[in-house]
Amino acid sequence: MTNASDDWAGLLRAANAGDGQAYARFLHAVTPVVRGIVRARGRGFGPDQHEDIVQEVLLALHRKRHTWREDHPLRPWLYAIVRYKVVDEFRARGSAAHLPIEDFSEILAADPGADPFAARDAARQTEALLGQLDPRSAEIVRALSLREEAPAEVGARLNMTEGALRVGLHRAMKKLAALAKGGTDEHR
Amino acid sequence: MNTDDLIADLAAEPPPPRFRPAVLAGRIVAAVLLPVALFLGALGTRADLAHAWANPVVPLKTALPLMLCVLALGALLRLARPEAQARALLRGLALPLLVAAGLWIWAFATLPPAARFAELGLFSLSECLGLIVLLAVLPAAVALRVMRRGAPQRPMLSGALAGLAAGAGAATGYSLFCTQDNPLFFVTWYGVAIAVVTIAAALVGQRLLRW
Repeated sequence: MTNASDDWAGLLRAANAGDGQAYARFLHAVTPVVRGIVRARGRGFGPDQHEDIVQEVLLALHRKRHTWREDHPLRPWLYAIVRYKVVDEFRARGSAAHLPIEDFSEILAADPGADPFAARDAARQTEALLGQLDPRSAEIVRALSLREEAPAEVGARLNMTEGALRVGLHRAMKKLAALAKGGTDEHR
Repeated sequence: MNTDDLIADLAAEPPPPRFRPAVLAGRIVAAVLLPVALFLGALGTRADLAHAWANPVVPLKTALPLMLCVLALGALLRLARPEAQARALLRGLALPLLVAAGLWIWAFATLPPAARFAELGLFSLSECLGLIVLLAVLPAAVALRVMRRGAPQRPMLSGALAGLAAGAGAATGYSLFCTQDNPLFFVTWYGVAIAVVTIAAALVGQRLLRW
């Protein structure tokens, strides 16, 4: 499967270089995504207002299309514009808009998945991080989070109650988050 | 209007001119330099400039606002991209502000009480404040105008940075004219002048930089 993100980036690149057909395809490709976001957020408004907002977002993308850096990923840029404009339009129409990041999880998640090596690297990184935990915590994370085994089984194997297991998992996850954060800071 | 028709209309428009932050930065820098050059051309730098700079505190009067101007300008142009994260950009501005605060405290601690605020006449004060603000009007207007080409997520913050770059740039130029070498004077009143321009530009930016 080709990655839609690369596609969009290619289309917008061509569009900004003067290819009107590529630009039309880009806008047609983006519109359903924008429409989905507007629909999910604007239940208090009628469908015609939804379409007005969709068009406002498309206009904003149009007016600001030169601010995308062609050597940078398209989606963070696109998402930023859509979010700004949707919030702005809902505010102007008298409704507080809340845009939880989950609404965008689909489009945001698409980028890392594009690279088949990314998943392998992620698995390797996870293993490296788990190696820094004590063996028992690491086993809890592997069993519950990675292999998704039943808590009762894992508890029996490790001789822990389910409550203790949950607490152990929670602590291990916090520790992992701290380790992962420290790790990325070093790379900066 | 049907969305498909809208898309057809938009696609028929010519492609946008390229967005070059370096060119935009150049325009803002030119707008900083022009009034400063006119001002220094008419009134000249202070006569004892070379001599005064032998005291290491005096070059700081020029270097600190210059640094602030450059950093604010860099942050401003990055904020022109909608996906920019403001927080990391603002952290970079802390250094000149911390040095300025340190300089103020050091001067307060080392100067005898009578000398601390000796130069604080109403004339010198209004001269310093008024001239910096005056020199900053053109660059602030140009910076705000330039930012309209961008897509800043934070219009008010972007306006503030435009004002900060303009005010700090104006203070840099003014510092070559100003003969007040007491940090308590110049840190305070340059700071107030820059703050005035920053706040004014933030208020204008809040309206002007929405898109």
